[in-house]
Amino acid sequence: MTLVLEARDLTKTYRLGSGTVEALRGVSLAVQAGEFVAIMGPSGSGKSTLLQLLGGLDRPTSGQVVLEGQAIAGLADDPATRLRRERTGFVFQSFNLIPVLDVRENVALPFAIAGIDARRGETAKRVADAIALVELTGKERHRPDELSAGEQQRVAIARAVVTNPAILLADEPTGNLDYSTGTEILDALWRSCAELGQTVVLVTHDAKAAAYADRVLVVRDGRILDEIKLGRRTEHGAAPLIARLAQVGL
Amino acid sequence: MGGLGALAWRSLAAAPVRSVLTVLGVALGTAVLVATVVTADGADRAVDLAVTDAVGRADLTVGAFGDASFDRGAIEQAGALPGVAVAAPSIERRTYLLPDLTPDAGADGPVAVLGIDPVLDPQVRSMEVIEGSALVRDDEQSALVSHTFADAAGLTVGDPIELLGAADAPPGTGAVRIVGIVRGDGPVAGAAGRTVILPIGTARALFGVDGATRLDLVLEPDAEPASVADELGAALATPYVVTTPAELAASLRASTSDFLATMALVAAVALFAGAFLVFNTLSMTVTERAREVALLRAAGATRGQVVSVILRQAVVLGLAGGIVGLVLGVLLAALLAGVVRAAIGLPALLAVSPVGLALAALISLGVTLAAALEPALRAGRVSPVEALRSRADQGRRRRAWILWLLGVAAIVALAVLILGRGLDPDEASRQLVAYASLVALALLAPVVAPVVGRLVGLPFAVVAPIEERLARGALARDPGRTGLTVGALTVALTLVVALATVAADARRSASAWLEGVVPGDAILVAVAPIPLGEQGPTPEIAAVDGVERVSPIATFAVAFDGFRLDAAAVSGADLLADGRLTFVDGDRESALAALDDAGSVVLPASMLERFELDLGPGDRIELQPGAGPTVELEVAGIVERGLPGRGGEAVLVGWSDATAAFGVTGADSLAVRYADGSAEATAGAVADAARLYGLEPVPLAEVRDAVTQALGRIYGLLDILALVAVAVAALGIVNTLAMSVVDRVREIGVLRATGMTRRQVRRMVVVESGILGGIAVVLGILGGLAVAVLVSALSGEPVAVPAIPWPTLGLVAALGLGVAMLAAWYPARTAAALPIVRAVRVDPR
Repeated sequence: MTLVLEARDLTKTYRLGSGTVEALRGVSLAVQAGEFVAIMGPSGSGKSTLLQLLGGLDRPTSGQVVLEGQAIAGLADDPATRLRRERTGFVFQSFNLIPVLDVRENVALPFAIAGIDARRGETAKRVADAIALVELTGKERHRPDELSAGEQQRVAIARAVVTNPAILLADEPTGNLDYSTGTEILDALWRSCAELGQTVVLVTHDAKAAAYADRVLVVRDGRILDEIKLGRRTEHGAAPLIARLAQVGL
Repeated sequence: MGGLGALAWRSLAAAPVRSVLTVLGVALGTAVLVATVVTADGADRAVDLAVTDAVGRADLTVGAFGDASFDRGAIEQAGALPGVAVAAPSIERRTYLLPDLTPDAGADGPVAVLGIDPVLDPQVRSMEVIEGSALVRDDEQSALVSHTFADAAGLTVGDPIELLGAADAPPGTGAVRIVGIVRGDGPVAGAAGRTVILPIGTARALFGVDGATRLDLVLEPDAEPASVADELGAALATPYVVTTPAELAASLRASTSDFLATMALVAAVALFAGAFLVFNTLSMTVTERAREVALLRAAGATRGQVVSVILRQAVVLGLAGGIVGLVLGVLLAALLAGVVRAAIGLPALLAVSPVGLALAALISLGVTLAAALEPALRAGRVSPVEALRSRADQGRRRRAWILWLLGVAAIVALAVLILGRGLDPDEASRQLVAYASLVALALLAPVVAPVVGRLVGLPFAVVAPIEERLARGALARDPGRTGLTVGALTVALTLVVALATVAADARRSASAWLEGVVPGDAILVAVAPIPLGEQGPTPEIAAVDGVERVSPIATFAVAFDGFRLDAAAVSGADLLADGRLTFVDGDRESALAALDDAGSVVLPASMLERFELDLGPGDRIELQPGAGPTVELEVAGIVERGLPGRGGEAVLVGWSDATAAFGVTGADSLAVRYADGSAEATAGAVADAARLYGLEPVPLAEVRDAVTQALGRIYGLLDILALVAVAVAALGIVNTLAMSVVDRVREIGVLRATGMTRRQVRRMVVVESGILGGIAVVLGILGGLAVAVLVSALSGEPVAVPAIPWPTLGLVAALGLGVAMLAAWYPARTAAALPIVRAVRVDPR
């Protein structure tokens, strides 16, 4: 097993008005290659902050994040941007797509930003593969406003995996969706992990979503409260997880 | 309601940069308006002052025709007429300062000399001597100079100067000592302040005049000016013209009207751009705060209350902009005063009339409110349900803003027309058409913007494909906003291009005119009439080596159908030999021969147009000399352009008619043509010969340069004002881009998370702005050329392909793109500095 991502004693303090808020109070974790890890917790527990630090969107107040052996917490904006473009993929809760670009252009966005022509050659194939993975082949020319909410999130997943990133970070990707659409998204994330060996870190407050993971980290008040190992399963029933969560008092 | 008022204020304070930019935009628009008002008022006052200086208390001014003069007997007779209290004789001539004593003074052209009677004149004119003393004896070798001229030439009391006199004047007659300096420009109107005042006796000796060239009459209180004017006929044998102070003022005003009308047009455009800025700002507020507005409505605020919150914001913006604009406007007017003077030939007074200023401030407030009406009503229509949505509906705005545009444009036009009272109706209507076509262009801009935008984006796409793609998409998202932004800049740039094109055309036709009609390379200007015939300077100068031809010209005035016309006495044979004049009707050779044979006249085409005459060769026309019987002449031909006269093109008559029927006693200038290739060598020899005869050589190129420079100054001034309009439009771009960035906070967050660098984000915003600017440049250039053609067509000139001012077009392109991209600086920085974490939050605000 190869270590892909490691967080060491992360803290994050925000200034709020005259006081401060401690969003993270010392979090350490490690993610192995090919793993599907869920970070779970109630709102305000600091789980989204943790994900943002892991992806280099923000800097920790103290502590370090190591991605593929490279310390990223202190990176300047340009190298951090480069890292995001090449080594991480993000899926947010909503509004993931650029409305003026069609499906294909949205998926190929990381290449376009890097100045790579994604209309031909190897890159074009990767874009097509990513679209196929999320089962949107045939809708390449559609604009985001012509897609359902679930389809839009699947486009976001395709964009996140298209560069073959070291890690895919998803922040409540099903938060805005109904049950069956949510399942559609989680299935797509699961396929990227199972079929492509994509490492996935998913932040959620929903046990049904977390149940797709191999391992669930339970966060509360800025600390990791517990770790629940579910192991890789093809069946994603939430019952075992919910039982375990009840044991830790959630 | 007090609470709602606070809301209006807070809403402006919440976006301080935007509010300040908007106030600045309104202020600049108002400033141009105020500068126009102040300049117009100043010109008005300057005209009044010039008239007072020139004619003083005189009720009638009697001027001798052309080079003729009144003899002393006639002056006495005029003074003895019933009803005349005072008849003050004077001599008015143009001459040059000899450079020996005052090397700096001669370079700027002729000076106006007024010879006055030291005893009688103070009873007519009050000439205020601000330094030194007044003239005392009528034959002393002393002079007064105007303060303006003294300043320009570095002269002080006690300095000697020498004036160029007639060839037969006794040596030393022109050498005088300055004894005093008179206020302002001095008593000669239209001399741009280059005035020297001599005792009349000295002036008589200097110019070889016996008597006077002008009589200023003060009448008894109960005398009727018209009957006195009738009586004059019997008293004066010499041809003369009678003018009243009102007529003089009218003719001076006519020369400023063209210029002031164009200034009013520029003011309208600047104000319009400012109105657009207000509209944009308040639209943004409404869009951004739709949720807040909806909450207010849900909490029970009435539509009227919501509308009033937005209108209150407009009042704050309008008042702040108006006040700052008043100050800026007065400063702008002061700054432009020098240029204005060159443009209208009168001292530009800074006449700050409270009524005018109040009116300007009111108009700027009114325009602001008018611009705010649409966003305010839109806010009123926000439904309480909107509070539940994350973003207000952006669509269905096209019709609303077209109506807005037309409404505001009409109000601006009306406002400027009210302020531009006293404009010549023809001028006003011409400018109104120009303004209407500019507004039409602004309406057209959003329709063609997408297509032009795609074209303009191509070069950007080569360097930054993804940025260009995203920028273009952003512009397409809110076509109304894009259209208005492009529209404002387009109109401002159109104005710059149109002004430049009209200026280039004017310059081209001015120099083409001079070269096409003047039969010489240099003009020798005479101070006193040059006698024709075997003696005198004409044969002497013709004998100088390298001179091919010397042709005498005299300009004088005639009346036609009750109007004053310029006329010129010319030699047909010389014009034929020199190949000047373009005939549009009649045979050139026979027409020019007919001039020399007497009884014929050649008319400029512009005269036929002016009087709507349908004349051709063989028709007869009656011209009235200043006095004496009407002269009937046969039209020998029509020329495209006649010789330049004082106020327009001159009708051409032969020398024999001029001397026999029109009272012309000699030539006032000689046109000298050099033989091929001998120009440089000959010019010096000719100048030497000319000075012997009291003639001042002026190369044609210098005349041409003077004309084009004067035009350049006028249009330069208008350009400055048009640039202010461009600046206002640029502020509009800043606002639009800032809004576009706010709209896309989420999107920018996603782009940054996907790996877009800050530099790329900045570039994206700059490219967006560049495309906006590019569209405006393309439309502005095409529109400007079209408007220029339209304006020249309206002014009755034949429609021709305009002289395309390439350098200006290049400058406009650079200016449009540069200003737009500069305007992007602040929004681009804001966009690039967005923290990703905040941008990707579910509700980024």
